[in-house]
Amino acid sequence: MVVRETLSALFSILVFPGLAFAVLCALTFEWLDRLIMARLQGRVGPPWYQPVADLIKLLAKEDILPTGASHTVGAVLPLLSLASVLAAAMYVPVAGHVVSSFEGDLIVVLFLLSLPALAYFVAGWVSVGVYSIVGGSRSLLQYFSYEVPFLMALATPAILADSWQISVIVARQPTWGVFTMPLGFLLAVVGLIGKLKRDPFDIPKAASEVVAGPLTEYSGRKLALWHLTVDVQTVVGIMLLVNLFLGGHTSTFFAVPGWAAPLLFAAKALAILVGLATASVLYARLRIDQLAQLGWKVLAPLALAQILVALWMVG
Amino acid sequence: MMDRMTIPIGPQHPLLKEPMAFTVTVEGERVLEAAMRLGYVHRGIEKLAESRTYVQLVHVVERICGICSHVHTTTFCDAVESLMGLEVPPRAYYIRALLCEMERIHSHLLWLGVLAKNVGFDTVFMYSWRDREIVLDIMEELSGGRVSHAVNILGGVRIDLDAAQVQRILERFDALERQVERALEVVEQERTLRARTQGVGILTPDEVRRYCVVGPTARASGVDVDMRRDAPRPPYDELDVNVILHDAGDVWARTVVRAHETRESLRLARILLANLPEGPTSARARRRVPAGEAVARSEAPRGEVFYYVRSDGSDTPARLKVRTPTLTTLATLPRQLEGVALADVPVVLAGVDLCIACADR
Amino acid sequence: MDRDAVVQAMRAALGAAVGEPRTLPVDDLFVSVELTALRAAVELLQNEFDIWHLSTVTGLDDGEQLLLHYHFWQGSGLTLSVSLPYERAEAPTLSDLIEVAGFYEREVAEMLGVTFVGNADLRPLLLPDDWDEGPPLRRHVDGQGGQ
Repeated sequence: MVVRETLSALFSILVFPGLAFAVLCALTFEWLDRLIMARLQGRVGPPWYQPVADLIKLLAKEDILPTGASHTVGAVLPLLSLASVLAAAMYVPVAGHVVSSFEGDLIVVLFLLSLPALAYFVAGWVSVGVYSIVGGSRSLLQYFSYEVPFLMALATPAILADSWQISVIVARQPTWGVFTMPLGFLLAVVGLIGKLKRDPFDIPKAASEVVAGPLTEYSGRKLALWHLTVDVQTVVGIMLLVNLFLGGHTSTFFAVPGWAAPLLFAAKALAILVGLATASVLYARLRIDQLAQLGWKVLAPLALAQILVALWMVG
Repeated sequence: MMDRMTIPIGPQHPLLKEPMAFTVTVEGERVLEAAMRLGYVHRGIEKLAESRTYVQLVHVVERICGICSHVHTTTFCDAVESLMGLEVPPRAYYIRALLCEMERIHSHLLWLGVLAKNVGFDTVFMYSWRDREIVLDIMEELSGGRVSHAVNILGGVRIDLDAAQVQRILERFDALERQVERALEVVEQERTLRARTQGVGILTPDEVRRYCVVGPTARASGVDVDMRRDAPRPPYDELDVNVILHDAGDVWARTVVRAHETRESLRLARILLANLPEGPTSARARRRVPAGEAVARSEAPRGEVFYYVRSDGSDTPARLKVRTPTLTTLATLPRQLEGVALADVPVVLAGVDLCIACADR
Repeated sequence: MDRDAVVQAMRAALGAAVGEPRTLPVDDLFVSVELTALRAAVELLQNEFDIWHLSTVTGLDDGEQLLLHYHFWQGSGLTLSVSLPYERAEAPTLSDLIEVAGFYEREVAEMLGVTFVGNADLRPLLLPDDWDEGPPLRRHVDGQGGQ
């Protein structure tokens, strides 16, 4: 019994819906993202194995840092970031399956998802190059602009469901959250774009200004881990949104047989991915001061309004 | 974190298409001052010209620039032909002008893509360079080269068009026109593009005059200069060129001016194709050029191109002086960059449409 | 530009310092001016005729002397030419009258070895910092040597 339980737990953590599944999803989503953006831009896009090939290529490359940069810290930071997003993946239900679930796991997930942003900034600081430092300071400023509206928007489903446990929120949704709190959904998506540093919020790593921002000096294995972190963070973020705002694997409009629930979940996740890719393609990159203005003058007040509405709806 | 930092931009940097060195001192996100160093692509063309024949030089000057190559050879041929007193057939003038206008179209579309890339708007970059392929394909069909055409010879041009080619070109112009109209809409109305380019890199008309700035950059500040209208060489003396002006003087104004100029060039190219005069495409030129001096000016995509040729009666020039439009725009850059946000540096640099190869020669 | 009027005004103000104008293709008028009268001539062009566009400054070595051509434009071309002896390759700067002239003068300075008196910034514009073969556009300099 113990053996079976242990094996089952190990399978859950390492394979599904844990590490292997998360990494596989991450690479697949990266491919789909690049494909959609390419087609929208009139290009062809990469073949399905491109993200894997990129990862393998990076792992094989020389791993150098400038003189004066700390190799130890430079090596720990990507590991820390990847570990925290993979840990966050443990608590986000995938079509109802989750490695571990407890009251308050939403807060844990949000905390874990914020760690990479801080690590990103420190990575820029510690690698000494001028472009890295400027990119790092921009990433902190960006963090403050999107994180507050993002957190407030994600608190709204918890308020409505009177629980901070993601699986409970999914179960208690009377209908899709996007209908009961559309503003919250929109703010969550915008916040996710900022969190993932996607166009139009890819300011910290704007190639035309700071070469590659905080990660300019990283190469080889370290860079591979950073890329994987972003991919996993994308997947975790999207799945979080699907659970909180799109009803997870449940359906409110027509009955869905049990075997189709994962497909429904996947379809919703892909829909959000398409939305993110389209948003990336449609706009020019904002300036950091324009983003800060947007964050504090528009997003944060709207998020506050949404929370107040949610509180009123509940009690 | 908020103390001064010196950021090198160049000679190698993702935002620069050609090597030049800026050293930008920033405090936080604000640029305090910018220093500039040119000469990374200086090839000594003017000195080289003293030991090459005029025939060879037609091809050498084409290589001063990659994007405005044809207008360089046109201006050079203009200067030398007038020294020789050579009567160039009208058909040749029309073909030269046709390529000049197509070069303007492809240069402006290229530039639009570069500006879009610099503001992080990759989609516009992809679209405008894809549309640019239409013009490049036409030029390749006519001359054999997409960017370097070698169309001009002393006395005329070495290519010709037949009616079928003219028809095919006109059809492709229709497709291009639809795309140019769409690009114009984006440039004038898309909010994020306007947010990044309006109010950035402003040049007052007074500064334009003090620095003798030319081309779309000058016209975007309201200064009315265009060599096609002001120094009309055939066939521009028969064409009515609409000179497009704007009064904002910022990067957005320059974008609007260039977008409209693209449309205007398309219109002029159509007129040239419709009115191609019959006749030969070149006149025979002697090897030796009589002693004397000549000055020729043309309107390149970036502004006034100036050639001074001094001949001593032999088959190599005594002096060739080239002044390219970008040189004076570069002179304004250190001043334009003072006080802008770091994120606006690529916008300012892209907005003036630099062609360093031209400036360095 | 009414070039006859300009030449007449220059003659009236500067007398014998202004030489005979010659018309050149494509549409230019070359007027030689004594070195000492250059600044006064340019000021006259600016103040009386509002000629502000200086296309460039051509410097050349014709075997006997150095020549500087200042190419102005206002609807048509007008060039002021000054002659400099080899032994005294100095000219007054125009950078306080026309801001971009300082830029042009840097190039002439490095290519021909002319000193522009009053121009504080004569750093090399195009040549590398360690160029030591002499001003490239002088006749006697081969220009073929490299690093």
